[in-house]
Amino acid sequence: MNVFLSGLFLLLLAFLIHLVVWKIRLPKRQTPALLWVFFDTYFFAILFLELILPAQYHSSLLPQNFLEYVHVFLFFTSFTLAYIITYSALEVDSPSLLIVKRIADAGPNGLDKDLLSSQLSDDILITPRIHDLFRDKMAVWKGGKIHLTSKGKWFVRIFIAYRMLLNAQWGG
Amino acid sequence: MSESFGHLISPLVGLSANVVIQVAGFRFHSRLSMLKSIFLGFAAGFVVVVALDTFFFFTAQPLAWTFVVGIILANILTYFALGYGYFHFINLGETARRVRILREIYDSPSGLSIDEILARYNGKAILQYRMDRLLGNGQVILDQEKYKIGNPSMLYITKIILFLKLIILGKKSEFE
Repeated sequence: MNVFLSGLFLLLLAFLIHLVVWKIRLPKRQTPALLWVFFDTYFFAILFLELILPAQYHSSLLPQNFLEYVHVFLFFTSFTLAYIITYSALEVDSPSLLIVKRIADAGPNGLDKDLLSSQLSDDILITPRIHDLFRDKMAVWKGGKIHLTSKGKWFVRIFIAYRMLLNAQWGG
Repeated sequence: MSESFGHLISPLVGLSANVVIQVAGFRFHSRLSMLKSIFLGFAAGFVVVVALDTFFFFTAQPLAWTFVVGIILANILTYFALGYGYFHFINLGETARRVRILREIYDSPSGLSIDEILARYNGKAILQYRMDRLLGNGQVILDQEKYKIGNPSMLYITKIILFLKLIILGKKSEFE
């Protein structure tokens, strides 16, 4: 049970620390900040427990050998990445969420088709995502145009290669 | 009683099987939709994880049941988390606005102004695409030029996301 219990404990601890840090101050670049919080918690908590936990509890609470440490790290990392992916859906307002929320807010009489179009303009749906590219250092202004940085190019190439592999069309 | 390398890698082998089956299924089976290929890949990977773990337990020395249960729980949950991550990776290529904008700029070596981006990809196109999907799934209905909530599944998901936003971010919208 060590792998499962250690991994679960470290995840819960990292999540609690993340909530506390976020309540104090919302980081400007949230995804890198999440990675720091989760992986710092993992390494410092393991180190702390190894040093302060009495030896008789080591066998029941901590990983026993190198392979078990790697196993806990894999468990922890897979959940951390799954959470970060989920978090990206919380960080920004998805178009489907905005649409459904506005229709629900309109009540049983419904929301006029044209009114929805006017409410969800480019300023709501597109411009903030362009600003995200500058914030995340994926794009820069050069000569009045937006150009991709190396980071932006590598990021999009992953998706282009994958879509080619699938032979799939792009969505929207 | 000790951890084996086989137990360690079984979720990763499961994820590899998931990706291979999903890609091959979607690419070579024309009647398989993206969503069905994702389910097929996920199920195949799950079978691989269970088969590998079972094989390694039967070929190892006798193990305590708490050890076996712990490894099975850890591996199945790790595989679920990896499969969930892979599903979202596919979804990013399908629907993420940032990825789409990046691709538009990538396809234009001389760069794009904001107006040029909006000429290629804009709020109207996004709204059309999402409304087609919501109407197609029956999650929204169009009644006398007015949109109303149909099947409430998307409304429930929206409420859960808004609740999580409030708990974690302290606000319900990025525009607050």
